[in-house]
Amino acid sequence: MAEDLVLDTAIRDWVLIPLSVVMVLIGVLRHIVSKLLRSSQTPDIKIVREGQVMLRARNLRAAANFIPSKAFRARKLYYCNEENGLLFVPKGQATNPQAQMFSDPNMAMDMMKKNLSMIIPQTLTFAWVNFFFSGFVAAKIPFPLTQRFRSMLQNGIDLSTVDVSYVSSRSWYFLNLFGLRGLFSLILGEENAVDDTQRMMQMGGGFGFDPSKGLSVEKDNLDITQHDWALPNFEHHAEDVLKRVIS
Amino acid sequence: MVTKTEESELKNLEIQVDNGGGGAWEYLSLVRKLKVRRSDKVLKHGLSILNDSKLRSKLGADEWTLYEQVAVAAMDCQCLDVAQDCTKALRKRFSESKRVGRLKAMLLEAKGSWEKAEKAYSSLLEDNPLDQIIHKRRVAMAKAQGNISGAIEWLNKYLEIFMADHDAWRELAEIYSSLQMYKQAAFCYEEVILAQPTVPLYHLAYADVLYTLGGLENVQTAKKYYASTIDLTGGKNTRALFGICLCTSAIAQLAKGKNKEDKEGSQLQSLAAKALERDYKQRAPDKLPQLTTALKSLTLSS
Repeated sequence: MAEDLVLDTAIRDWVLIPLSVVMVLIGVLRHIVSKLLRSSQTPDIKIVREGQVMLRARNLRAAANFIPSKAFRARKLYYCNEENGLLFVPKGQATNPQAQMFSDPNMAMDMMKKNLSMIIPQTLTFAWVNFFFSGFVAAKIPFPLTQRFRSMLQNGIDLSTVDVSYVSSRSWYFLNLFGLRGLFSLILGEENAVDDTQRMMQMGGGFGFDPSKGLSVEKDNLDITQHDWALPNFEHHAEDVLKRVIS
Repeated sequence: MVTKTEESELKNLEIQVDNGGGGAWEYLSLVRKLKVRRSDKVLKHGLSILNDSKLRSKLGADEWTLYEQVAVAAMDCQCLDVAQDCTKALRKRFSESKRVGRLKAMLLEAKGSWEKAEKAYSSLLEDNPLDQIIHKRRVAMAKAQGNISGAIEWLNKYLEIFMADHDAWRELAEIYSSLQMYKQAAFCYEEVILAQPTVPLYHLAYADVLYTLGGLENVQTAKKYYASTIDLTGGKNTRALFGICLCTSAIAQLAKGKNKEDKEGSQLQSLAAKALERDYKQRAPDKLPQLTTALKSLTLSS
């Protein structure tokens, strides 16, 4: 069980490095293609306005202690008023952002393009890896693993006695998939189309930009905010500052 | 707001370029990034790059950004022929571009043909209602024509959509102050303070407006904001020091019958007075006697 398999350096030269290089190149290619295919998004005026309202409400919450309490209370009322407050969205009208996104043809096309550009290269590369690089041990993971991981990491290897630390090239592919994200953000700048994991997280946790829910969240947060005027403290600080200046 | 490091970097680059060292393109890029208004320098150095065909071809695709920047700077310096040349070059390259359309409208505005510019801006906004720059140019045009109420109207409409733009709130506050509509100005300054609570400039302006509004509560609040300005600037702001002295005496006058707590106030006032005297001794010693008489009259009247 604990024998040390000696892996041929040819594996490193002909499997690990080419696989990484190919993934980097495919990533760059995807980025360029997505830039070419990207349709200009004209943001809707309502969405912009709601975004700005949320920003303003967030500023109010953050810096509430810097303005007099009367001003704060007036603003709180303005935002959270039940009938026509800025942040109030009546229950029926809360536009389901999912439905909205699908009904808007531009956005649907955009999403489809993004999804396709993510799925197709991944599938192709995965199939390529499986076809060419299966059936042998590719690398050794430096830390020991339990037997559970055998089916996941040792897929092409049909020997059940080999230590689970020896993995197939499929797991190297997955490692690269998640690990090259950092490299891409260095090469391609922050907003690149290869950030699959980010998008996957976004899709998993509900749609990213969620106007109606965002507003009610802001409203609740604002309702809770207490006002603790910080200015009297400033007066004491100012005295200390002046004392230091004079002395 | 520009940070201190950026400001010093900008100054260094400016000195370097002015004295004939290289680095004109870095200076122009920094000016563009920080959105500062250095139109005469931009015009001079930008034109020197554009007129030199070797340097121009080295820029590649950035050449057109430079054209746009120089065109705007030329309009600011009223060199309208330079602006027209740049706009023509851009129009030849990008004939159907919204940015070029915007430049054309700005050129009309710079020439002074207000109605034509107004029409151009309105049509541009119909196509693209979310262009902040065009909205702001409309406000600026109204202001330039002297139509302050029109400027207020346009600015309010702009702020209804883009309500998180603190520069616009600041502009509105200054317009209201100029029209003596101090209550509205106070509201706008509050918005600005909410957006950037640690900038002493806004605290000072807010305190000024509150003091001008008058009334015991407002003056007390004003005093607190002058104190916060002193705190944020480390005691160096002369206007805030004066503000403290004036507020304290005003409060004492207004609260004569009410007999409120005045012990904490007097300490701040005496400290501020001492700091002022020190400042004047260092910077304007011949004005010192005027200062001392003024301060004495303040404390006497309180």
